[in-house]
Amino acid sequence: MRKELPMIVTILSALSLIFSQYFFSGKQLGLTDVLDKWYVISVSFAILLGVINLTRVHVNHIRRRREGWWNSIALLICMYGYSALAIQQTVDGPQAVWIYNNVITPGDSTMFALIAFFIASAAYRAFRVRTKEATVLLIAAVLVLLGRAPIGDAFVKGWGSGFWRFPSWGEAADWVMNVPNTGGFRAIIIGAAIGAFAVAFRILLGLERAHLGGTGAK
Amino acid sequence: MLLAAEAAKEAPFLGVFSKGMFSQFVLLLIFLGIVWFLVTRARAGMKIPEIRKINGLEALDEAIGRATEMGRPVHFTPGLGGMNNQQQQCFAAFGFLSYVAKLCAKYDTRLIQTNADYVILAINEEIVKQAYLEAGRPDAYNPDDIQFMSDQQFAYASNVMNMFQKEKPAANIMIGAFWAESLLFAETASFVGAIQIAGTAQQSQLPFFITACDYTLIGEEIYAASAYLSKEPVMYGSLVGQDWAKIFIFALIIAGTVIANLGVKTNWLTTILKM
Repeated sequence: MRKELPMIVTILSALSLIFSQYFFSGKQLGLTDVLDKWYVISVSFAILLGVINLTRVHVNHIRRRREGWWNSIALLICMYGYSALAIQQTVDGPQAVWIYNNVITPGDSTMFALIAFFIASAAYRAFRVRTKEATVLLIAAVLVLLGRAPIGDAFVKGWGSGFWRFPSWGEAADWVMNVPNTGGFRAIIIGAAIGAFAVAFRILLGLERAHLGGTGAK
Repeated sequence: MLLAAEAAKEAPFLGVFSKGMFSQFVLLLIFLGIVWFLVTRARAGMKIPEIRKINGLEALDEAIGRATEMGRPVHFTPGLGGMNNQQQQCFAAFGFLSYVAKLCAKYDTRLIQTNADYVILAINEEIVKQAYLEAGRPDAYNPDDIQFMSDQQFAYASNVMNMFQKEKPAANIMIGAFWAESLLFAETASFVGAIQIAGTAQQSQLPFFITACDYTLIGEEIYAASAYLSKEPVMYGSLVGQDWAKIFIFALIIAGTVIANLGVKTNWLTTILKM
């Protein structure tokens, strides 16, 4: 029953949602809302799992004096200290808000800013012309990069009109973004949606069992 | 309750269906029919069409083998998705994780699995534990290697980046829903020399994975994982069904494009699909 019971619950929940989504009487019953509420309640309890896992992992770090164990002490103090503060004055309390705005937000911004440097290093490796694919990537990147900057249109100005229009650099960059790029992305979205549906169907049939533990196959 | 109140105001289509849902229900039945047909054929031992080779999935064995030879760990992350956000990608990641965990258990390679969602953490713990059990090595399972780090995007990212620098994994497998942290992970893992296999259906992150990783599974390929890796004909059948459903959708798109370009005033296809 260790696997069968969760599978029965999964199948019943899926069938309830299908009934609620497509059928008039199902929609009137508001089953989706009820299941959403159940989900919120169960997730509220699940937060404890995260706290327990963090505590267990970092207490073990400290106990075994693993490399950087003092960071684990800082983490536990911050986690339990902030939780106590938030319980005492709610998350909207003055000190809780001050800590969030002056510690978490600048930290997030710093991490986000790092992405710019990582983009440069990743682009350098990707654009080295080693294969045909990398060459196409390089050409498209140069076209779009310069097309998005004023220098592109300064190099190549468009002329003519209608069918006989020769595009400016910026217009060519727009074409790359709007036609092949958008077309490709839409194809990916359609494929991914059908793939997601196939996974849902496999779960509904009980063929896919990875989420219950094990190899994923029946 | 709001939905229920809104539904009460609408009249049911054909006395049964919610407004605009009839055509979707018919499409659902068609897809179910296609997949069911192929699964049944496979189950009966009949021939089903071949499926194409997916390099990213074939490379999983190579990546774990490399980590084993180097005596370094394998890292797996399902990204930031949770059960209320991109859950379908999480389900795809579960299939990968069970396969990766089983291989790691078999080769006695350390698997570090990091999480940003506590519900996913609980499921992943169970998947890894079960995989070690199935591989006959329950003693090798270390619960401390299945870690919840933070549900804050950049706190999680910095934690994973720190782990990369400290543990220097030889393989980094990222399957699921990723946002801005994708490149932070991929580049840091690249700096420590990890072979990288990434897969996501988030189209905004695909360019980052393609530029920074060795293998990238694009969109639907991640949903093929558990079926593809299981090598079971029944699961293969559902994959072929997925491809056939895609052909059907593309046929509808082409038909819609032709009808729209013919300048027909009333597009019957649109009318049917809106029913």
